Amino acid sequence: MTDIVVPEGLWDAGVNPEGIVANWFYADGAQVSAGDVVAEIMVEKSTFEIEAPAAGVLRHTLAKDGVVRAGTVIGTVDGG
Amino acid sequence: MTSNRILPVSRAISEAIAQEMRADPSVFVMGEDVGVYGGIFGATTGLFDEFGEQRVRDTPISETGFIGAGVGAAMSGMRPIVELMFADFFGVCMDAIYNLAAKNTYFSGGNYKVPMVLMTATGGGYSDAGQHSQTLHGTFAHLPGLKVVAPSNAYDAKGLMTAAIRDDSPVMFMFHKGLQGLAWMASPDGAAAEVPDEEYTIPFGEAKIVREGKDATVVTLSMMVHHALEAAEALAGDGIEVEIVDLRTVVPLDRETVLKSVAKTGRLIVVDEDYKSFGLTGEIIASVAERDLASLKSPPRRLAVPDVPIPYSRPMEQFVLPNAGAIAEAVRASVKGA
Repeated sequence: MTDIVVPEGLWDAGVNPEGIVANWFYADGAQVSAGDVVAEIMVEKSTFEIEAPAAGVLRHTLAKDGVVRAGTVIGTVDGG
Repeated sequence: MTSNRILPVSRAISEAIAQEMRADPSVFVMGEDVGVYGGIFGATTGLFDEFGEQRVRDTPISETGFIGAGVGAAMSGMRPIVELMFADFFGVCMDAIYNLAAKNTYFSGGNYKVPMVLMTATGGGYSDAGQHSQTLHGTFAHLPGLKVVAPSNAYDAKGLMTAAIRDDSPVMFMFHKGLQGLAWMASPDGAAAEVPDEEYTIPFGEAKIVREGKDATVVTLSMMVHHALEAAEALAGDGIEVEIVDLRTVVPLDRETVLKSVAKTGRLIVVDEDYKSFGLTGEIIASVAERDLASLKSPPRRLAVPDVPIPYSRPMEQFVLPNAGAIAEAVRASVKGA
């Protein structure tokens, strides 16, 4: 099982430390491939795409609109 | 190949545009903030990075100029997608829209096509006041020569956008801001949808029954489809089964599907986020009255914006916009009126 982590340095956390999960692009339990854009994070009005780190079954740890910081685990991919 | 991706409407639109741009070098995009910014409502996100500034062109704030240029480009063999940031801004560029885009095919005896998509954001509900909140479906539908599209979900948005780009007539592609799935503006759950990876088209003039029922027909489109679905859910608890027709395109208008549904249910409620008088709601009711008045078991009803500008004040705006509660009430009154 691989964590889906909000990368460090995606935005200037000194200006605004928090963002939200703006959208999940696959349902909880969906099959995804490595590199699929599975979610987007919004900080103020800018959005950042989050890719699946591996292939497998996607699980949402954090629901849409949940608050994130750099390093937050928003979900997992279970390759079985 | 199908996909299990759930895309918001904004990404469905930009994907449709990207796929047509890859396939056809004559397709290009221009408008205010469509390039580097990606469209203020996300409809052109990612296009600038892939296609560059020649094919995704940021324009000055001069709608008359760039929409007129779009018409000229379309008549010269290109397939422009031009974004009018808010439908409300049509006032400054209406000559380019309705005297040039809409009529040049007719004026030229059919010698020139105008294969242009005029993409524009509609709708209110988020306190953006009277010049940023209108839908104006009826304003554009009223003018001969324009096709008018207003999707309610991401699947329809992609298929309708692809069809719009391939169409040889000017198409008004009217997307509702509150359906786009933007991170900074809430959208109803049903707006995002599973969207196939590959390109596909949805033919214009084919309404969709989004919920079947036997007691009353609600005809609507765009954002109001979601309010109607919420109303139908509440009414089902009272044993009233509502059929909901999502028009998807206003021009051409699928009167047949409306007539067939009303023939089944005997009751008609039309819901539009546009102004009430002289508009879509009246057109639908007139179409049924002309063709099959006897099918109506009770007087038809309509919900739309009373003929006032959209208020900035949140309580006042929420009061004038149709909502699930008002739709349910209208359906109940219609059913009791039999």
